[in-house]
Amino acid sequence: MTSAPAPLPKVPHVAGRILDAQLHLMDRQVLDHDGVPVTTVDDLEVSGPALDEDIEPGSPAPVLNALLTGSVLGTRIFGGRPPSSRLIRIPWKDVAEVGVVVKLGVKGEPLDASWVERWVRDKIIARIPGGRHDPR
Amino acid sequence: MKRLLGVALGILTAIGGFVDIGDLVTNAVVGSRFGLSLVWVVVVGVVGIVLFANMSGRVAAVSGRATFEVIRERLGPRAGLANLSASFLINLMTVTAEIGGVALALQLASSVYYLLWIPVAAVAVWLVIWRVRFSIMENVTGLLGLTLVIFAVAVFLLKPDWGSLAGQVLAPSVPQQETVWSYSYYAIALFGAAMTPYEVFFFSSGAVEEKWGVKDLAQSRINVLIGFPLGGLLSISIAVCAALVLLPAGISVTSLSQVILPVAEGAGKLGLAFVLVGIVAATFGAALETTLSSGYTLAQFFGWSWGKFRRPAEAARFHLSMIVCLLVGIGVLATGVDPVLVTEYSVVFSAIALPLTYLPILIVANDPQYMREHVNGRAVNALGMVYLVIILVASIAAIPLMIVTGAGS
Amino acid sequence: MLNTPAPAASFPARAAKLLSLAVLSLAVLTGCSGGASQSVSTAVKDSSSAVATARIVLRQDMDGKLTKAAASTSLEDELKEVQTSRSTVLKLSPASQEDRDLQKQALDVLDQCAAGFATARAALAANDGGTPSLSHGDKALADAQDALKQLGDKVGSK
Repeated sequence: MTSAPAPLPKVPHVAGRILDAQLHLMDRQVLDHDGVPVTTVDDLEVSGPALDEDIEPGSPAPVLNALLTGSVLGTRIFGGRPPSSRLIRIPWKDVAEVGVVVKLGVKGEPLDASWVERWVRDKIIARIPGGRHDPR
Repeated sequence: MKRLLGVALGILTAIGGFVDIGDLVTNAVVGSRFGLSLVWVVVVGVVGIVLFANMSGRVAAVSGRATFEVIRERLGPRAGLANLSASFLINLMTVTAEIGGVALALQLASSVYYLLWIPVAAVAVWLVIWRVRFSIMENVTGLLGLTLVIFAVAVFLLKPDWGSLAGQVLAPSVPQQETVWSYSYYAIALFGAAMTPYEVFFFSSGAVEEKWGVKDLAQSRINVLIGFPLGGLLSISIAVCAALVLLPAGISVTSLSQVILPVAEGAGKLGLAFVLVGIVAATFGAALETTLSSGYTLAQFFGWSWGKFRRPAEAARFHLSMIVCLLVGIGVLATGVDPVLVTEYSVVFSAIALPLTYLPILIVANDPQYMREHVNGRAVNALGMVYLVIILVASIAAIPLMIVTGAGS
Repeated sequence: MLNTPAPAASFPARAAKLLSLAVLSLAVLTGCSGGASQSVSTAVKDSSSAVATARIVLRQDMDGKLTKAAASTSLEDELKEVQTSRSTVLKLSPASQEDRDLQKQALDVLDQCAAGFATARAALAANDGGTPSLSHGDKALADAQDALKQLGDKVGSK
């Protein structure tokens, strides 16, 4: 171990809400602009140095890049991480509101995160008669 | 007047929808082997399900979120996944048992071999889930299931000795030809049959489907407080029928055909017609509920869009997962396994999985972030803790008892 | 916040091993019980239940309380029960001469039950007027029931 680290700088005053990633973001339902469920937040992608690198003093704070979903659930529970190209991201800039659920400002349909839903819908459900029938 | 009709419909649907193949088989087996000495378990089970259905309905109505959505948020993905795996597998077993039950009842009515009815029943279940509106589905199967009241009617027509019946109920004892172990095993089975886990998922998701709000809480409370105990009385009358006709003849129930014999004895062919309609309706309704529960639990854990109020094209993975469940159910039944055996195992495994289902409900119902001012009161919490202990005891004791008694034989 | 792995827990692992050993030995102990007379006794119990059910079915059919469909389905179910019992007894490998005699006697009685069922199903199909009559079928089942009771008493007195 190295010598005791220098005392941490004070937390800068920020405008806006302070969120706890584990409490407020992880495992939350993600709804799109119209309130249709998209997915749950399975993991978060944070910018900054890699896990096994030392953090240089004075480097900028990590920034939340994207919400992750899909196979990261398996790696989150059992360990490890998929390669960056395999991650299914919902860019943070698409997020409009964080409350009991995470609301996006865009429609969910064209997102990467909805690709399985789109595929199942187009290839399987739409081919069964009555699939587009409104039950009300 | 319209309000009153609505309330009555809710109660009647709750009564008719209470009994499923697990209740039918387990109560009949218990009545034929133990007489009325296990009726107290049904009472305990009914109070339990009233308590937890109430809580899960309140959670859904107040927070607008269904159970499994909240399980993952509150307990984390690991506990949620463990919960999901166990609940889903046992749900699947129950779906298989219910479809088998529909097929067996149709065989009794028509003499056509039950294996031929299985695909028919499964396709019918799928069609209703695919096209029929949620409220219509609930009301029709619930009302038709009311014909099971013929069991209670048959009890009266069989002219029992009420005094000795009351004695058996109030002073339970292990019958001579059974052991304490099989008595305890069937107590757990009966408990699992009364407190079916899928009921909680279905009730809370159904509340979201029908878009309940705080103002609907009163109606839901009435449905549960009046409907479920009356449904429990129906279950008990199944056991009483078996105890009156089958127990004295030394018959232990191993097939659905034996369950209906007491009704035929007391009420003749008309009674037989009622009971067959009732069994088909009740098991069909339960098949719908358990299949939907499978879809609900998966979709709510993974965050898919779900709900019968959406077009199938807008809830594609939800519907696909239910289709797969039904196909698996058909596959299992096509191997020729006895559906009654599947039922008997499904109720015991339901009892084993109960803690996984009820603990999250108890936790969330106490969480002010979701429930605001409608969190559990002290009395409800006290009762909830008592039941948690009962459920844990039943769950832990189930497998050793299953081994010791050879699954009750 | 992040998922820290639980410390390598040796106690839960040992406890799990002990528990599975206990469960296994319990299973073995309950499996090795009785031998021939236990199996025969179970077969007698199950078959008596089946024969008693069949008698009730025939009686209800005579009284006009049961439909043909329900009655024939019920008889088929109970016959399956008897056949399962018979194959269980058949699969026994009796050690002593006494056990072999018991197995043979049990098989004879169970065959009599199956024959009784055949008569009963024929009576049901013959529709009460033809041969065999329903009372014939009931008599065949009653005889089978007596034989079962005798066998049961013999096994029970051991």
